[in-house]
Amino acid sequence: MFKKLAIVRWSLFVGLIFSLLYAGFGIYYKQHFLNFTWEIDKKTPVWTIEANLKFKPVSENVEIVFSRPIVDGTFKILDENTIAKGNYTVQKKDRTIKLVGKNLKKTQNVYYRILLYDTVDAKKAKKENNPPKIVEPLFDDETMMIAKELLQVAKKEEGDNAQKIIALLNNEEATELVQSFLPKRTKLKEKAEKIVDLLALENIPARVIRGVHLVEGKKSVTADVMIEAYNLNEKKWYVYNIETGKTGLPADFIVFQKGNASLVDVIGGGDSSIKYSVLKSLNSSFSMAKHRSKNADIENFFSYSVYNLPLEQQNALKWLMVFPLAILVVVILRNVIGIKTMGTFTPMLISMALVETGFLKGLICFSIVVGVGLFIRMCLSRLNLLLVPRISAVVVFVILLIQIFAILGYQFDWQVASSALFFPIIIIAWVIERGSIIWEEEGFKNAFKEMLYSLFAAIVIYFVIVNESIRHITFAFNELNVVILFLIMLLGIYTGYRLTELKRFAPLVKSKKKLKKTNKRGGNV
Amino acid sequence: MFKFFRMFASPWALKKAGVLNMNYRNFSIIGLHNSRRLYPLVDDKVKTKELATTVGIQTPRLIGVIKAQYEVKNFLQMVKGWKGFVIKPAHGSGGKGVLVIKHYTQNHFRTASNKVIKFTEVYQHISNVLSGLYSLGGQYDEAIIEEVVSFSDQFKDYSFQGIPDVRIIVYKGYPAIAMMRLATKESGGRANLHQGAVGVGIDIKTGKALAAVQHNMPISYHPDTGADLLTLKVPDWRTHLEIASKGYDMTGLGYLGADIVMDKELGPMMLELNARPGLAIQIANQKGLVHILKEIDSYPKNLSFKERVDFILR
Repeated sequence: MFKKLAIVRWSLFVGLIFSLLYAGFGIYYKQHFLNFTWEIDKKTPVWTIEANLKFKPVSENVEIVFSRPIVDGTFKILDENTIAKGNYTVQKKDRTIKLVGKNLKKTQNVYYRILLYDTVDAKKAKKENNPPKIVEPLFDDETMMIAKELLQVAKKEEGDNAQKIIALLNNEEATELVQSFLPKRTKLKEKAEKIVDLLALENIPARVIRGVHLVEGKKSVTADVMIEAYNLNEKKWYVYNIETGKTGLPADFIVFQKGNASLVDVIGGGDSSIKYSVLKSLNSSFSMAKHRSKNADIENFFSYSVYNLPLEQQNALKWLMVFPLAILVVVILRNVIGIKTMGTFTPMLISMALVETGFLKGLICFSIVVGVGLFIRMCLSRLNLLLVPRISAVVVFVILLIQIFAILGYQFDWQVASSALFFPIIIIAWVIERGSIIWEEEGFKNAFKEMLYSLFAAIVIYFVIVNESIRHITFAFNELNVVILFLIMLLGIYTGYRLTELKRFAPLVKSKKKLKKTNKRGGNV
Repeated sequence: MFKFFRMFASPWALKKAGVLNMNYRNFSIIGLHNSRRLYPLVDDKVKTKELATTVGIQTPRLIGVIKAQYEVKNFLQMVKGWKGFVIKPAHGSGGKGVLVIKHYTQNHFRTASNKVIKFTEVYQHISNVLSGLYSLGGQYDEAIIEEVVSFSDQFKDYSFQGIPDVRIIVYKGYPAIAMMRLATKESGGRANLHQGAVGVGIDIKTGKALAAVQHNMPISYHPDTGADLLTLKVPDWRTHLEIASKGYDMTGLGYLGADIVMDKELGPMMLELNARPGLAIQIANQKGLVHILKEIDSYPKNLSFKERVDFILR
């Protein structure tokens, strides 16, 4: 028999360890692929970049080509679409999205919209083994001279070649030399092109990269620019901010195009203008999880997880998932601490009601309802009814009582009374019935004690399930519930003392001297 | 704060004293030695009575069993000719739902605590028993009506109303520990320790009092009658032990509690057996149970009840 016990204990421990491993893996997996976090309300920003193209069609066939952003691991696309009224066909290609319109008349408004999330800094430079060809700048002789002079001056600046040039051109007190090469108020795009030209003179391949800076609420008519220069020794592309000279692609810059190709081409249209706007929205990690799974190629796994359920069911499950922990608390309260409660799970149901009503309001209301119920039950006991009809009568009384409470609560704006609606009637009726029986059988003191203990347990459980962070964790990382399951089973073989027994049996180990004292007191009675 | 902690004993001290706790009792004692299929033998008091008769244990005579609600109104006919009677739920536990009627007329019933109640109250009590108010799982129950034990005058001074009974815990057929439960004013004539009854630890070899407690605290005198509890001695102790020991033979339960009362004329009688006897008996004895159980583990097996009692009394 005892051998069997050892096997049970051993297998439960192994189970616990496996469940811990499973939970650990699950938690890592979800954090890594689905971006779930321990903290509640960690929202994912989702950026919407919208390009709005306006033009007048001048020929029968109109062709519009939008560049698509270059996805190189610095962000993920949530959604991408075009909106255009009229007879359009859309062709999506790797790098571009092409709209072909036919028989268009009025001024056209075409939108290209892309939603992206998880933007990150691209710290590392891009490796590319074949250096691109250097395009010699088309400078006239004068400009060429100025350029060469500039390059000489630039050597005094700090940083690598590109940074030296950028620093010189951005110098606050621009020298005449710089001014003549790059007049103030030049467009950023031209400035970038000039920098690329200067680098070409130094035999450094470089190009302009264009994209959109993610600034909430931004509206702009031009794309943002940066430059990219090739390091011949390292065979790597470095990205530079043309204002500060900083290297690296920042998280808030989305690259649409590299080199000189334009972001939007319109063929067959005239009087065209383009506008970029950026919007930021915050989404919960759970609503983003599906898209993340798609990007991580774990969609199949994901479709069978709780996070793919309709939101309503997810919310219901969020409640369910916290209960294993609450049950663990019940087990600890009963088997380790040794608190005697009315029914095993009655306190849990009371605490559920408390969540609905609010803590203090609920407690007061519950006490009043049970108090009045006990009084009614006392009156009922004089009628000598049979057990089942008597309990049923108490249930009906409780319902009527709750109705009265609700009406009073509404009329006089007593929120305490209104909360009565949320208590499970059957549970209240049972508490009343059990309470009154213990009262009759074992006296008021014992009945009051047991009710107080039940309420205490309910309060403890309340604080477990009302905590949003706990609910978040048990739902986001629901594999923890398996760990809880094994903990509960392990408590099933806990054969040690309960906390209350330490007090109960204390007289058995107290010193003899003390015993004598109490003996005397007992004798005087 | 310090005083608060002084109320608690350290678990190591309790372990050293061999105090049996609830979890251990449930898991390692009851779980291992009391097979669940044997429970009905002791949980159903009608069955227990029948079994007891077959092995020659005296129990209070059965007057009748009320099984259905329509029979309740006729209970007076059933008890015709008996001076008093006791109503018990067949599946009750811990003395719940036991109503002792010492004397009665057509409409007045005098209970053990000398309260006079009416017919309707007795009627409702039986109804409650039938609807399962006092039964273990709350299922529908039967009401047993049996004779009142005319308890021996020897204990008159030791108990305030109520009937004092002896609880003996039997482990593997060997009587392990015993106590006597005495009703007090506070316990309302009941012998339940947690309601304030006095528990007197009884020496398993002699039947003499070892220690007495009320509300878990040691006392020396009965709080109501003032009797010196430590002079108490249970007469016919060997018969008590034999009844308890036979309880094992008749049920097969490795760990059981036998409740025995002393009848004025018939001597010791078994009231009921309990498959999950409580732990308070340790407090009444001021002694832990674990060491005793461990010792019994080494006792010879396959002895008859007489030999086992001889072994205990050796």
